[in-house]
Amino acid sequence: MRMLLIFVLAVVSARLAAQPNCNAYKYNGDELKYKACKAMEKVKGHYQFSRAFQEALDEALAIDSTFAYAYRIKSTAYLKSGDFITWKKLMDKAVKYDPEGELFYRASCRYQFFRDYAGAIKDIELLDSLVDYNIGYSQNGDYHLNIIKALSYKAIGKPNESLQIFERQLSDSTHSVGIYDYLHLGVLYLEMGKFSLALRALKQQALENDIAENRYYMALACKALGDEKGYLENIKLAKEKYENGVKMFDPYVEKMDQIFLTDIMDAMKTEGF
Amino acid sequence: MKRIAIIAIILLVGCTRSDQDSKYLRWVGDAEPDPEMDASDFQLCGSEKLVQQYFYFGQGLQYEGEKTALRKRFKEAYLPVETAQSGLVRIRFIVNCQGQAGRFRMIGSDLDYQEQIFDERITNQLLKITQSLDGWAVLSKSGKPRDYYQYLIFKINNGELTDILP
Repeated sequence: MRMLLIFVLAVVSARLAAQPNCNAYKYNGDELKYKACKAMEKVKGHYQFSRAFQEALDEALAIDSTFAYAYRIKSTAYLKSGDFITWKKLMDKAVKYDPEGELFYRASCRYQFFRDYAGAIKDIELLDSLVDYNIGYSQNGDYHLNIIKALSYKAIGKPNESLQIFERQLSDSTHSVGIYDYLHLGVLYLEMGKFSLALRALKQQALENDIAENRYYMALACKALGDEKGYLENIKLAKEKYENGVKMFDPYVEKMDQIFLTDIMDAMKTEGF
Repeated sequence: MKRIAIIAIILLVGCTRSDQDSKYLRWVGDAEPDPEMDASDFQLCGSEKLVQQYFYFGQGLQYEGEKTALRKRFKEAYLPVETAQSGLVRIRFIVNCQGQAGRFRMIGSDLDYQEQIFDERITNQLLKITQSLDGWAVLSKSGKPRDYYQYLIFKINNGELTDILP
């Protein structure tokens, strides 16, 4: 499993980090994009927030204002500083000039950074309508875009639609299981009151990536099923894992279904068992 | 020696001119000090050039009591405003090496990410509560506490505070 994750992350990272091959534009007869691409190479060695990085991209875009990739990498510093206005303007241009290549990024950032679930669904469904191949993964590699769509449907209050998408995606033989897929599925079942199914999905998560979150939700499922032993074992494990840093993590944002120590402590305090 | 000094001056002038000509500051999102807006007692510990982003430390948002404590503060202190306004409000600020926050800057948009000026009854509350937060972590790199930029994004739905990011 770990090797699979490393492979997926490596592929995704390569997709994101790789500069376009400027010669490919030349080969295809797009001289303007070739020149813009060569100008963009000046970003190398500069921090994406820096003046030099931004100016190199402005230079590239002055040569070819339809260079979608340059808009995307220019947008990243605005995204990470929370400037949703400038980020969205830049990404709208990227999508305008290359919807098939850029919708994955706008969709996953809308979900991850701004919890714009309706916007993420719209972008993913648009991408799906434009291509006849696998729509692929989020920009950080954590999720297949269909899983993001499922989570977004849950967030806008449509759990049945969410569940359908989850089950379809996870039963697809070409799907590479993500690091949190079964955790989210388990939480969805839990929220729908399907406790045995929740427990089964969360146990699957424990096999894939055993973290504080799946133990915490397993404890809640056990409690709902009247399994005191299971509850106590899992809530204790959740606390241990949390305190040892074995938990959901994103350096930029809080993730969906992420828990905090107070959640565990509150669950331990509540009456029932 | 004289030649080295002349070259150094030329380079320095060249750099300064380049910086002044640019529409960009050092980094995207940098907030320059503004005596009219900023508390006079807020000071950086290091130089302006060394202020980092919160994620630079690889720990995510760091607040005493975690995100739960932040949510609790806003839930207790923010009073819903009767208005049809919805959208996002971002308040960005610097946390210095002593965990004190200052240089607060605000932007807002509607749900389509178009710039929007929010009702002051909303923004004044958000700003006041944000300025009152006193649990920001001191973040260090190589054992040395650093100043860093942090932001909070507030999701507003018809004047109600529905979520806090990141």
